[in-house]
Amino acid sequence: MRASIRKSFSGAYENTSTRIFLLLFGVLFFIPAVLFHLARRGGNEYNRRLREMKASIDVDALRAEVTGNIQKKLSYFKRSEAGLDGEVTRVLQARLDEEAKLKLARAFPLLKPFSFTQSVLELLDTTAGMLLYCTLGLPAVLFAALMTNAFVRYTFGRLLLVVFVVFGVTFLVFTILHFSPMDPAYNILGQLATAEQVEQFHKAYGLDQPYIVQLVESFKGIVTLNPGKSFLGSEDVITMIVNRLPITMELTFASLLLAVAIAVPTGMLSALKPYSILDYVVMLLALIGLSMPSFWMGLILIYNCSIKLGWFPVSFIQGDWRSYVMPVIVLGTGMMASVARTTRSSMLEVLGQDYIVTAKAKGLSRRKVIMRHALGNAMIPIVTIIGIQFGSMMSGATVVEKVFNINGLGNLLVDRQFVPDIPVVLAGVVYVAIAVSLVNLLVDLLYAFLDPRIKAKIKGY
Amino acid sequence: MTRQAILQKKTKTRRLKRYPELTAIGIGWGASACIGLLVLGGCFAGENGFVFGGMFVIALLYLGMAVLCLAVYQAARHSIAAGGGIPIFCRRLGWLMVASALCGNVFAAIAGFSIVKEKRSLEYNLCSYAILGNLLVLLITLLNLFKEYVARFFMVGIGLLLASVVLYVVALPLIERAQTPEQYRKLKPLAIILIASALLGNLFAAILGLVILMRIKNEGSARSIEWVDIVRRIYRNYMAVMGFFIITILIVLAITCGMTFDYEYAISIDYDNLLHPPSLAYPFGTDNTGLCVFTRIVYGAQISLAIGLVSTAVPIVVGGLLGAMAGYYSERLDNGIMRILDVVYAIPSTLLTIAIVAAFGANTVNLILALSISNIPIYARTMRAQVMTVSNSEFVEAARSCGRHEWQILILHIIPNSLAQIIVRASVSIGIAVLSTSSLSYLGLGVEPHIPEWGNILKVGSPYLETHPYLAIYPGLFIIVLVLAFNFLGDGLRDALDPKLK
Repeated sequence: MRASIRKSFSGAYENTSTRIFLLLFGVLFFIPAVLFHLARRGGNEYNRRLREMKASIDVDALRAEVTGNIQKKLSYFKRSEAGLDGEVTRVLQARLDEEAKLKLARAFPLLKPFSFTQSVLELLDTTAGMLLYCTLGLPAVLFAALMTNAFVRYTFGRLLLVVFVVFGVTFLVFTILHFSPMDPAYNILGQLATAEQVEQFHKAYGLDQPYIVQLVESFKGIVTLNPGKSFLGSEDVITMIVNRLPITMELTFASLLLAVAIAVPTGMLSALKPYSILDYVVMLLALIGLSMPSFWMGLILIYNCSIKLGWFPVSFIQGDWRSYVMPVIVLGTGMMASVARTTRSSMLEVLGQDYIVTAKAKGLSRRKVIMRHALGNAMIPIVTIIGIQFGSMMSGATVVEKVFNINGLGNLLVDRQFVPDIPVVLAGVVYVAIAVSLVNLLVDLLYAFLDPRIKAKIKGY
Repeated sequence: MTRQAILQKKTKTRRLKRYPELTAIGIGWGASACIGLLVLGGCFAGENGFVFGGMFVIALLYLGMAVLCLAVYQAARHSIAAGGGIPIFCRRLGWLMVASALCGNVFAAIAGFSIVKEKRSLEYNLCSYAILGNLLVLLITLLNLFKEYVARFFMVGIGLLLASVVLYVVALPLIERAQTPEQYRKLKPLAIILIASALLGNLFAAILGLVILMRIKNEGSARSIEWVDIVRRIYRNYMAVMGFFIITILIVLAITCGMTFDYEYAISIDYDNLLHPPSLAYPFGTDNTGLCVFTRIVYGAQISLAIGLVSTAVPIVVGGLLGAMAGYYSERLDNGIMRILDVVYAIPSTLLTIAIVAAFGANTVNLILALSISNIPIYARTMRAQVMTVSNSEFVEAARSCGRHEWQILILHIIPNSLAQIIVRASVSIGIAVLSTSSLSYLGLGVEPHIPEWGNILKVGSPYLETHPYLAIYPGLFIIVLVLAFNFLGDGLRDALDPKLK
């Protein structure tokens, strides 16, 4: 128990991303610990011995050696000797420290370097210190215990990144919108608005505040899910987004499913029979799918399937499955194409590996070789490409929503950018970015399960 | 199937594989037949039923060429499968196929050029594509003669194009005849003229000139030049060269259209010609303000290519440098740069464009800015990964032990060796930029609506989908063809730069 608490502390403290949280959670314990550490600094044995060792080294001999080396190097490269002294001092200092440490380690192999970790560990060795840590620093103890698990630590680090990205995106988009030369007040009140009216508008939306105050307000709004009211119509931004985000997400995920369901088997088939007619046709279709502008494809589908053939309704009706068909196909095409191409190439690569030859050689049936040995490993790049493409699908959704006139988030943003309706655009972009980051986080975690190499790497942290 | 039969089949496939001409002829007859049938269909699609005219003659020419190619294809296949080569009469018939370039049948012409000669050098291939490229642009430009009036410098443009075609035709035998280094050295002025002629946009001519200069410079030594080898390897991939060919044609069109296409047809409203169906004067019809869609598409190529190139070049430089620094220097710098780029990476490109356009308004400069910024993280990541691999190589150690500065090692040794992936990505991402540009213009977030950009043309055409579908179909096809060309080129480049990947 005691040993594991010690170990979890030093593990969490050594990792830079968890250290600050450890200190934060156990602040009540760490303040006395710091005092203990400071009190011990002067009479510490390690530092005292190190000083002794340093004093025992023959500095002049070392200096002569270092100077000789540097001069030799400079003359070999035909450089001038300007700045020689500075470099000699620098190298000498480093050599001195190095030699002293080496000597110390040789003379007293058990002496540990003096550091805050060392002090705390020594404190934990005493029963009083341990009790103090387990009571005052209980949150820190629990946190450190949690972080001993490699996957939890990895997930925690990735989550921190997502939080950073959210703040970064908010900062970036807010700054872009803040320094806009356009004044939304005139667009909403009309060009003939008086100066007082404009001022009143600015005051109502806090636009007269300094940049920093507005930025902090925006952060607060985004985090507390209350980004304020829209300029146009003075609606609650969060209600607008909550009303429209689901349909965008439905579209995106439906397209994603369709794309994966079609592209993975097709890509595999074409990898199993490379350079056959089927392969050429599938890959040509995939390339055409990649090269087709989605809005054009949408228009052509509307023209042929809705207007000419009457299969699907021309305008989008929420809840009617028939009106989802065309947007989902259009949005899924690009994804389908890239997933099919990735599946083919990664499958081909895996099939050429030695372990597949081994599996074949030991007499496994073709099906078993493919299902058990090839597919799992081939999935790794496919999962990557899905994560990478998710962002561009959210981009594509904007276009598709415009073409099919779907009341989604993208449609809203495009309509409101003309104002510019800063709260709506800011919140919309930031929440979509959060969604994209979360999907990418999910993909990264999925990796850990799929790829034993990455699993090993995570554990090795 | 017996063992014998399998063996026979394998021998046959192996023999057929030795002749890349067969692919060219196969595609030649297929494409000619498709185009011929499409044009033939067009003859019957008019309101008055079948019309006997120029269209019908062209359809017959294409179909005839398809039959000829098919016959040659079968004859050659049989002869090769039986263990012989391509019969001499097939090679002679190749000249007839080359002649079909005069009616715009590029596919048959390429097949012809590849079959008339048994041993084709790289220079021969480059030169034949250069001829076909400028000839095709010349033919497209000549369509302007059917209009009421032509541009002021029309004759100058036509003259330049014609001169360049004649130059390439003359250059072909000259280059072929040069065998000894002596003769080769005499080609130097020709090479310089070829490079100068590439000012019209013919990339094949430029590469041809450079290849000749390189050979003169390295004459005698057996060492191969890497990029020449890469060009040679690309030539093994028919579709990649085709992609490059299409890109070249569009570049030549984009450069010469200022002289040969009257901009008036693209921007000044003509109330007498509203919604004119396709005809010889207006090959793709006119839109609701009487503008010639064909002229607009040609000028649109200029804008699309320019935006694509700039919005790829900027992130390559910025992202490449950032990625190289992140991958080479300390871990702290790496973390700093990559975390900031993660922020940009998390915003989908369209949404970033919306934010930028909302702040600064919709115009071409802001569009390029938005596209460039959203591309930076991708290049930075690619470059970083490459630099990390390369910086562990021995030659980097060697450079360091020779006392090179760190930044010199980075710029002179590591970056040049990490570019392969970037080049492949760049070719694909120009295509993506063209797609994004048209999508954003369609949404009203891109190029100003009065400029004839492909997305804008489509936007004008889309309300007339029901009555005049051709207004939306043609610009869309052009976008597909251009992006497809870049994708094919990208695939070819990937295979050529890294044979391992195939």
